[in-house]
Amino acid sequence: MVKNRIVKDRLAQGVMFSLTIVAILFVVVMAIGLYLKSSPVLEGRSLFSLLTSSVWKPMKGEFGFLPFIVGTLWVTFLAILISFPISFLTAIYLTEYARPVVRKFVFPALDILAALPSVIYGVWGMLVIVPWISNHVAPHFMEFSSGYTVLAAGIVLGVMVIPLLVSLFIEVFTSVPAELREASLALGATRWQTTKKVVLRKTLAGVLAAVVLAISRAMGETIAVLMVCGCVIGIPTNILESCYPIPALIANNYGEMLSMPLYESALMFAALILFAVVLIFNLLSRIILYRIESREE
Amino acid sequence: MAIEVQNLNVHIKGIHILKNLNLTIPEKQITCVIGPSGCGKSTLLRTLNRLIDSTEGVRLEGKVLVDGTDIIGSGPEITELRRKIGLVSQRPCPLPMSIFDNVAYGCRINKMYKRHRDLENAVQENLRAVGLWDEVRGRVRTPAARLSIGQQQRLCLARSLAVEPQYILADEATSALDPISSKTVEDLFVSLKKDYTIIMVTHTLRQALRIADNVVFMYLGEVIEAGPAQEVFNSPQQELTQKYLSGVFS
Amino acid sequence: MKISKSKRIEEAVFKVLMWVAMGIVFAFVFSVIWTIFSRGVKAMSWDMITKLPGGGFYIGKEGGFLNAIVGSLYIVGASTLIGLLVSIPVVFYLNVYRKKGSRLAYVARLAFDVLFGMPSIVYGAFGFTIMVYFGLRASLLGGIIVITLLIIPIFIRSMDEASRNFPRDILDASYALGATRWETLRVVVRQIAPGIATATLLSIGRAIGDAASVMFTAGYTDSIPTSLSQPAATLPLAVFFQLSSPIPEVQDRAYAAALVLTIIVLILSIGGRFITNRFSKNKL
Repeated sequence: MVKNRIVKDRLAQGVMFSLTIVAILFVVVMAIGLYLKSSPVLEGRSLFSLLTSSVWKPMKGEFGFLPFIVGTLWVTFLAILISFPISFLTAIYLTEYARPVVRKFVFPALDILAALPSVIYGVWGMLVIVPWISNHVAPHFMEFSSGYTVLAAGIVLGVMVIPLLVSLFIEVFTSVPAELREASLALGATRWQTTKKVVLRKTLAGVLAAVVLAISRAMGETIAVLMVCGCVIGIPTNILESCYPIPALIANNYGEMLSMPLYESALMFAALILFAVVLIFNLLSRIILYRIESREE
Repeated sequence: MAIEVQNLNVHIKGIHILKNLNLTIPEKQITCVIGPSGCGKSTLLRTLNRLIDSTEGVRLEGKVLVDGTDIIGSGPEITELRRKIGLVSQRPCPLPMSIFDNVAYGCRINKMYKRHRDLENAVQENLRAVGLWDEVRGRVRTPAARLSIGQQQRLCLARSLAVEPQYILADEATSALDPISSKTVEDLFVSLKKDYTIIMVTHTLRQALRIADNVVFMYLGEVIEAGPAQEVFNSPQQELTQKYLSGVFS
Repeated sequence: MKISKSKRIEEAVFKVLMWVAMGIVFAFVFSVIWTIFSRGVKAMSWDMITKLPGGGFYIGKEGGFLNAIVGSLYIVGASTLIGLLVSIPVVFYLNVYRKKGSRLAYVARLAFDVLFGMPSIVYGAFGFTIMVYFGLRASLLGGIIVITLLIIPIFIRSMDEASRNFPRDILDASYALGATRWETLRVVVRQIAPGIATATLLSIGRAIGDAASVMFTAGYTDSIPTSLSQPAATLPLAVFFQLSSPIPEVQDRAYAAALVLTIIVLILSIGGRFITNRFSKNKL
């Protein structure tokens, strides 16, 4: 009877252990899989030339990823530029100033932003942001713009990143012990002075980690960006031009992939780039955030 | 007449924490607030510098006159009040910066000195006042967190003194320290009373016996007895005070 | 007194900026929701959600997108179930079998966080390669597999979060009665049940809204799949594909589908908040 129970316990432990290991290994398997699939395109082409060439002619076997990389960077940069101040100030207000009542209203709003699917943001972008840019913003600078631009993608992506950034910032800020704030307040500092000189100073690494995490999230966002970026291959020179970020490239061409092995391989390479960047960024920021968390305990 | 508390009531989330307090805290003396834990000593201190504002669901009633101005209600600018009333908390709490910057923090916040020379002098002077200068002389630019706990507590005191307060609130300032550091800090308070009005919350009766000029005995949010230390200790008027002093409860 | 003024002005300025920031957040929420609802309601009809696309649907003739609704439900339902079956043991293992500060638990959490952060397009691309390797075509099964992989990290991270806060004394109390860790799990399940519920709602929300991963793997079809090897339509893709049509009637259907999707997601989100609020109230 007792033996039976202990065997059961052991068995369960074994099963759970293997499930956990499998899950961890999944990251590795993913890396290997994507690498193997993208190896044909890496054959005979140097990594450097793939990343820095801007000639994209799949039919002729020329794959230069630069336009897509630049597009991704533009859009991501813009998204962070928009979402950072908004999220940062909101998070500071919520942790340093707000009464519980205010939080009760703001949290559900952030919840909704976080819950809405990418494609919904895409619809919103097409209905609201794109026409706005086309009719109100672009005319100040150029003859005509369809509105499907770096700017549109940046705004839509920026809004999508806000809830993630706010929740990370809140987590980081609340790790600062209350006594530190009080020590500063007791010396006659205002709330803002305390935030600026004590809270931010203490959480700089965490804030940075949160931003890095948001960057990696923004880089991989697909459908919403695909719907508003314009999808024109070329290196955008300003934010009122169309662009073609990497995720959009993959999503848009999946149908054609099968017929041309090298093209498929190139798209898998694009996925590998995303995977690698997101992996590195995530590891870095998570390790920093874990440290902050454990310090709190 | 330094601080006068009149009919002070504090509610937190509907719970009556301080009940109708009336107190006079004389100038340039040490006033010790004693009483069992949970009696509202800390709440009283936090009310005096309005740090209690950051507690959720707090409601203040009554009057607290600091130098004749009421600090409850609209009152003066709170940051000015806090600058006038220094705080030394139970556990030393150095800000995440160097020793120098810790002491300079309040001066910079309040833009007290225009020239860096003056700021440096002020920092040095205050570190001297707490007997820390000789110990940290060569390493004022190193993080304050590397100091020992006792040194940190003196640093916090120096930090409070640097903004030139008139009052010092100490919330069990020696309870986290080893006996020797504790003695050093205690002696410091005694030496500071010629310039400052000091209000100390203490858990140890013996400490109160050693340094108090006045004693306030609190129990369950009320002031049971208050007066000159000798009177309260030698001939307590209230039965509760007698019991507390003789160690029936603590 | 001049000094005090400058810092008070700074304080006021930043406070205003913070209010503005929060105002912008609310404006965005309002704008998105209002846009989807105002366009969606106009295009909405009973046929939309009860009928399959009829002949000529894509040139604006009659029919609805029941195929996408059912397809999404199939995929989400199956992957939520599988996801729960896989992630609950992992969460238990990390929290009950492993001690606090365990190296393996640390690496596992890191791995799940990384997977959590992986873009769904990468899941889609990777899932597609795997399917090709096994000779599978875009199908219901493919969609289920990829969505399951996508939501497992979400499941695990949010349940892990919930079970970390639960009192360890309960474990000790159970051990002290002679229970094995396996038997103790029952106690743990009851404790973190609300956490599991919230995690489930969160995962369903993510699963039903994700387009990039099912694009490759589930495909798209006008009929309701009757077996695992048939392709399946999904709501987000219904929005995406119909919106790219030049015909206004077809675009309208995209808006209607977007409305349905938004309503589902909003209900899930509100439900999640309701449970967590209740949960934290019980804890106090």
